[in-house]
Amino acid sequence: MAVYERNYGRYQGELTPSWSRFMILPRYAFKDVFDSKGFLIFLVLSCVLPFAGLILIYLHHNLAALKFMNLPLEQLQQALPINATFFRRGLDIQSWLCFLLALSVGPSLVAPDLRNNGLPLYLSRPFSRTEYVLGKMMVLIALMSFLTWIPGLLLFFFQAYLEGAGWLAANLRIGVALFVASWTWILVVSLVALAISAWVKWKPVARVSLLIVFFVLTGFARALNEALDTWWGYLFSLSTAMDNVRAFLFGTALDDSHMAQPVWSAWLTLAVGCALSLWLLSRRIRAYEVVR
Amino acid sequence: MNAEKLSTADRQVTFENVSKFYGDVLGVNRVNLSIPPGITGLVGPNGSGKTTLMNLMVGLIRPSRGRVSVFGLGPDDPEGLFRLVGYAAQYDSFPPGLTGYQFVESYLRVHGFSARESEALAWKAIERVNLVEAAGRKVAGYSKGMRQRIRLAQALSHEPSVLVLDEPLNGLDPMARAEAIALFRELADGGLHVIVSSHILHEVDLISDQVVLIHGGYIVAEGDIGDVRDEMEEDHPVQVLVRCDRPSLLASRVFEADHVVEARILEDGQGLLVRTRDADSFHLALNRIVLENGLAVDAVAPADSDVNAVYQYLIGSNGEKQ
Repeated sequence: MAVYERNYGRYQGELTPSWSRFMILPRYAFKDVFDSKGFLIFLVLSCVLPFAGLILIYLHHNLAALKFMNLPLEQLQQALPINATFFRRGLDIQSWLCFLLALSVGPSLVAPDLRNNGLPLYLSRPFSRTEYVLGKMMVLIALMSFLTWIPGLLLFFFQAYLEGAGWLAANLRIGVALFVASWTWILVVSLVALAISAWVKWKPVARVSLLIVFFVLTGFARALNEALDTWWGYLFSLSTAMDNVRAFLFGTALDDSHMAQPVWSAWLTLAVGCALSLWLLSRRIRAYEVVR
Repeated sequence: MNAEKLSTADRQVTFENVSKFYGDVLGVNRVNLSIPPGITGLVGPNGSGKTTLMNLMVGLIRPSRGRVSVFGLGPDDPEGLFRLVGYAAQYDSFPPGLTGYQFVESYLRVHGFSARESEALAWKAIERVNLVEAAGRKVAGYSKGMRQRIRLAQALSHEPSVLVLDEPLNGLDPMARAEAIALFRELADGGLHVIVSSHILHEVDLISDQVVLIHGGYIVAEGDIGDVRDEMEEDHPVQVLVRCDRPSLLASRVFEADHVVEARILEDGQGLLVRTRDADSFHLALNRIVLENGLAVDAVAPADSDVNAVYQYLIGSNGEKQ
């Protein structure tokens, strides 16, 4: 019988709070993303629209500049009014940039860990599957926030600052809509992108799958609606559902009235899309794999 | 929980009637085990349930039935359990683009260590596995042996009390193997539980204080390899090799004992291979015969008391060829 001397001491110090640990995961993912020149160019280009919006809002409140450009204020207010539609359309465009971002970054988030059996590395620590998914999602959430609600709210508050407190009170709904619509889209796109990344190992196939979910299903929904003269085909289209929810939140009409569906059904589609993605993630994000 | 303050009896990894099924597939069945400190070798053919047993130990999977506890803690207390346990899975898996240091440090951060503490612990672990010079290089450029060592570093970096290592000697060259084994011994002598699975039976024999033999999801033997071998004497008589000057005389004398079932003179005529059902009695009898007859004995050694022999008797194949 061996005689064991206790000379091996364990660490007894303080630990960081468990809720904050998921934020360790995106550290190197961000580094990889920002190492790519193509991605940096994309990020700069995605700031063009918010910057244009900033100039437009400024021009609405600077008669001297308008005079210098020989542009009457009434004409500008008529052509490009700063209202709910202005903010909604801006968010529409930025939301599609988010989709492109998910298309670029999403497929490489979970698939490499699964391909290399890397999950035990995370899950043999005080770190849950939920925290793992949250950590991976943080990459998309942070980048998409930079494209959507952060510039949106900056423009909103800039407009409120120039117009005065009365405008802010009268248009509070726009601010809320910017925030809620952005987060809803971020959650939907991130969860679907992660679920696809968890199930499809090849990046090109994952990207095609993402395009199928957001575009081909919309085409299918439209064909179904045309053939059966109904609206419920849109229950299969996440992008149409988001357009409807966005229009509802901003209190504006849809640009294409043929795409209208009851708001409850749009929320239902988004909720089911998220729930299905979470289910797919929970089926796949496990510390072990059984080969039958 | 402070593991240092627990008594030796409490500092055990225990399996109480544990079964794990993956749907219809059996992982392990009715496992009752109590693993004390020291190096424990987990031996069994591919698909026998070694990895399942390890995953249960480290809380990666939960048993379908029964209870697993490490120093009294189960998977319901992940914060406590994962502080106690360090795990290196068999997979050669690394997040892309990380250096050896970043690999060890980032998982320490996931563990909940502060940036400063993580840095200190990461370097300490990297130093232990002799990889300081390569720590700044990307893991993707490491040799297989270096990858094994950096995985070992990440498993022990948070200073666990139970180190669970799935095939840790795979891919290591002889020098690195010797270093790894020396490190296991150093850790085990310090009171750590080092649980190692391996196919290389002579190495398991060399390094283990106790072994667990598993086959088809069932534990077929456990404990000190000598004790296991003794328990098998009835079905598999022990072989003892005696090198001496007059083997034929020795053969005729040892056959007087009931427990001796075979005595074979070696081809070179310089010794005898004896099979006996009672090794202790045989050794006493051998002493007596040597003294009475003035035999010159060069060596007396067990010929089939190692893990390899036990494995072959119980499982029926040579583990090294798995």
